[in-house]
Amino acid sequence: MSLDLTQLVAQVEDLAASLKTREGERRARLVFALETLQSPAAELNHLARKIETSKATWLVAGLRERIDLRERASPCPENCIVLASDGSHIDVDRHHSARCFLINIGIAQLQYGRSPDACLSTLPLLYFQDGEVAISSPDGREVPIEGQLLGIKRSVEECRLLTERAREVQAALPIVGLLDGSLILWGLAGQTYPDFVIHELLTDGLLKHLDVLTELHRNRQLAVASYVSFPRSTDVVNALRLAICPHQPVDCDHCCDGKSESRECDAVGGLLDRDLFGRLLASGERSAIFISRSSVVKKHYGIHEVNFFYVKLDEEVARVEIPLWVAEEKELVGLVHSVILDQCQRGLGYPVALSEAHEKAVVTGGDREQFWGLVEQTLAESGMWLESSAKQQSKRMRWI
Amino acid sequence: MDLGARVAEVVEASSAEFVAQCYKLNQAPPLGSLVKTRDELWEIYGVVCNIETHSLDPGRRVVARGEEVETEDQLFRANPQLTKLLSTDFKALVVGHRHGDDLHHYLPPGPAPIHGFVYTCQLEEVTAFTQSLDFLGLLVDARLPFSVDEVIAACLRSASKSYPDSEAFLVKAGRELAGLLGGDSQRLNSVLKRLR
Repeated sequence: MSLDLTQLVAQVEDLAASLKTREGERRARLVFALETLQSPAAELNHLARKIETSKATWLVAGLRERIDLRERASPCPENCIVLASDGSHIDVDRHHSARCFLINIGIAQLQYGRSPDACLSTLPLLYFQDGEVAISSPDGREVPIEGQLLGIKRSVEECRLLTERAREVQAALPIVGLLDGSLILWGLAGQTYPDFVIHELLTDGLLKHLDVLTELHRNRQLAVASYVSFPRSTDVVNALRLAICPHQPVDCDHCCDGKSESRECDAVGGLLDRDLFGRLLASGERSAIFISRSSVVKKHYGIHEVNFFYVKLDEEVARVEIPLWVAEEKELVGLVHSVILDQCQRGLGYPVALSEAHEKAVVTGGDREQFWGLVEQTLAESGMWLESSAKQQSKRMRWI
Repeated sequence: MDLGARVAEVVEASSAEFVAQCYKLNQAPPLGSLVKTRDELWEIYGVVCNIETHSLDPGRRVVARGEEVETEDQLFRANPQLTKLLSTDFKALVVGHRHGDDLHHYLPPGPAPIHGFVYTCQLEEVTAFTQSLDFLGLLVDARLPFSVDEVIAACLRSASKSYPDSEAFLVKAGRELAGLLGGDSQRLNSVLKRLR
């Protein structure tokens, strides 16, 4: 046993004490944030203008509705189809001689109403060709798909397969397609990937698949949304930071450079959006729709600009992201809101379609071992000499 | 359930028994009924001795979720994925096999094939198979988590329906059992009581 829990006990107790001390302070900040939310400083036009003209260092939500809006859900259509996709992957293992990775996508298609039906499927995809395991530029540069980039590739594949399934649906019923996590490929925003990587994964990947969904939506009632459980985002709290900022225009680097403790906006610091909406919303209500002003969205997403709202469920506040073309249609927003509530009720607090897609996609530690075993066995049967690292061998045969 | 219909597929097999997964939830052939599966050389007959409905994924427990609905049907309609996540399986004790026109009331040379389709038997086939009751010896000696006598009685009650004179068949079966269980009158009585 390598983790000595007895040594950890005292440290865990310190952690609990520290959290308890901060809780009182957090509550006071939350009360202030809620007051600010309903104050003239947060008035829609005033704050929206302030946000647009600001040079903030925070990621601040854009406003399209009153910031303290609370909207109840319309009844969920009795007859509808919910599609969901989720994925998991086995990354390239540099300790194995075969350079390959696996993406396993689970799809759940649940039909409700007169003809209830379900289709739960799994699609494991193995990538091993030179053009598959790396993204290449026309001038011969290569970026290997592994680690964080493979996570992004997986998100793109989840969207591709959701789109394919949506195209195959024959029944003339409203469809809501659900993706797990964020519509924003955050990995591309933070890292300095070359343009050809962003083009392949975003322009030619996620956005192209969303284009197909937009096309489908012209002929039928169809919406797509992504669901973030227990979100840690602070876009709306950051909008409140701007609302209480005394500087006009807001320019953090200029006005507060070097000030780390006495900034007025810190009165709402440390809060998460979910704290705010957990108090503001009643069960089942959604918040206003906000616009993501993240750099990657602004630069690349176009008609798929990511909008989002929070919805209060019995167990938690979730963040729901929708592309602009969904956000602009009141009926589609209502459809997404009501279907997500309904899905959470059916799924013991979490959308049942996403939960089933996850169950189909999940790759366990045992699966990983079996996968590499299968690869090695098949290569050996083909008469190929297998190299593997000494470290790998050492892990496999633990000795004393 | 249509007699002679394809209802399941073999997912586990040994010389003396096989487990079959039903194509439809809760649509297993009745306890004690005669079913068959095919190999290239033989038709293998089994008697359904246990039926189970469970989660397909052993790591996922079925939870109660019907408090808000009035009927079980409503519950399944509101949760259409359930039928894809649950499975009804049954175990059958192998009681004989057919090779060409020859019926044998003892174990076949090999187990039922995995993925072999499982069919219920038509009444005529049940009559033909139960002309000889030698297979009862295999049932009497079987070991189950519950009393195998329940299965023997269910099998004979089920088979008796394929005869115009059910009573005569049951009397004949009772005599056969008396021979097999002669030294254990308590057990014999217990089975006979269940034949009514």
